Amino acid sequence: MKKILLVDDEESIQLLYQEEFEDEGYTVISALNGEEALGRFRDSSPDLVILDIQMPGMNGIEVLRQMKMIDSTIPVILSSAYHEYKQDLGAWASDEYVVKSADMDDLKRAVRRHIG
Amino acid sequence: MPELRKDPILGRWIIISQERRKRPTDFIVEEIPGTGGFCPLCPGNESTTPSEVLAYRYDQRDEKNSSNWLVRVVPNKYPALVIEGGLDKEGEGLYDRMNGIGAHEVIIESPNHQDVFSYLPTERMVLVFKAFRDRIHDLGNDPRFQYVMVFKNFGKAAGASLEHSHSQLIALPVLPRMIVSELAGALSYYKYKERCIFCDIIRQEIQQEIRVVCQNEHFITITPFAPRTPFEMWILPKVHSSSYQKEDDLKFTYLTDIFSESLRRLDACIPNVPYNFVLHTQPLHSAEIEHFHWHFEIVPKLTSIAGFEWGSGFYINPMPPEEAAMYLRESLEHK
Repeated sequence: MKKILLVDDEESIQLLYQEEFEDEGYTVISALNGEEALGRFRDSSPDLVILDIQMPGMNGIEVLRQMKMIDSTIPVILSSAYHEYKQDLGAWASDEYVVKSADMDDLKRAVRRHIG
Repeated sequence: MPELRKDPILGRWIIISQERRKRPTDFIVEEIPGTGGFCPLCPGNESTTPSEVLAYRYDQRDEKNSSNWLVRVVPNKYPALVIEGGLDKEGEGLYDRMNGIGAHEVIIESPNHQDVFSYLPTERMVLVFKAFRDRIHDLGNDPRFQYVMVFKNFGKAAGASLEHSHSQLIALPVLPRMIVSELAGALSYYKYKERCIFCDIIRQEIQQEIRVVCQNEHFITITPFAPRTPFEMWILPKVHSSSYQKEDDLKFTYLTDIFSESLRRLDACIPNVPYNFVLHTQPLHSAEIEHFHWHFEIVPKLTSIAGFEWGSGFYINPMPPEEAAMYLRESLEHK
């Protein structure tokens, strides 16, 4: 089973995404902040990362830069409630940028595009 | 006593605040540590950017999107405006709307992550100015676009989100308000005097010398009479021309020399000062305009815009431009 690393500081989002992606047949591991996410990224070798941007401490774009230094082949989808981070060129290191929405269809399609 | 000064083109008033008068060393520039990690603009990472629309390489026969580039222009990966589609203009009562059509591109000014624009060697900086011209020219073939705005944000405080040296351009289906106002102000002067106001400004500044920062055979840098911020500079061609996109390669070597000198003078006054520069040129589908003169405006980010400025449009500037020009002139002589 393909493994997704889910990084989001909102526990309710984590629970929702975990349920939805497990139903789709993926294994989901999670992290609540940037530091934890980098540890999981190194240790668990996920097939894909879903990464929130606005988090306490290290923000998602900084985490993204570090992840791509470690392994640039693992696709990272930035998932944010905000459009404005698209103006940050640091976001270009991601493979997709999906604005969070209730139905999750865009996010699911983006995941399937990268890991089937 | 504070002084009110009026910009002769826009009619915009600014306040030179003598009480708040400052020297270059009074401006504190926050040191921002470099961001480490993966850089999507560096050579070798071309696959993380959209396919290039222009690149200058050591060997132009080399493959598109290969790593051996000197200057590379790519569309914005996550653009605010989209290139495909029609404008579909419509009205809703007194309100107008159209589709968000536009092009947003990033000009990667050097393959070296640590390079700073103002210290690029001449033969490399000249390629950046050529890239601006060539992209404006190309986007001008699209009848949907009316204007290409070229700009650079240097330093985090000025809006740069990546330290890898880059500038940006946005092709717009409408004229930006600043250009509309500038064209209108310049036309109004032309109707009265039958001369280009920018040509008259250049003539007077050369005569008075007090606001001249530096000049060469083809260009002059001045601190404008009514600057919005301390050390604001304008770089103008000495001979009348309204169209940046019609300038030739030789002119760009002179432009590079004066641009680099002006920025280095600024950096010598206030090291690492964040700034924005914006190219002001004529609209895309226009013939040569007798009353308008293309130029660059360099605006250091030294003061924050507060409620009074937002509300009134009056900028408060704690440094008279004559003093700023003097500091800029003397800056490199002390080095």
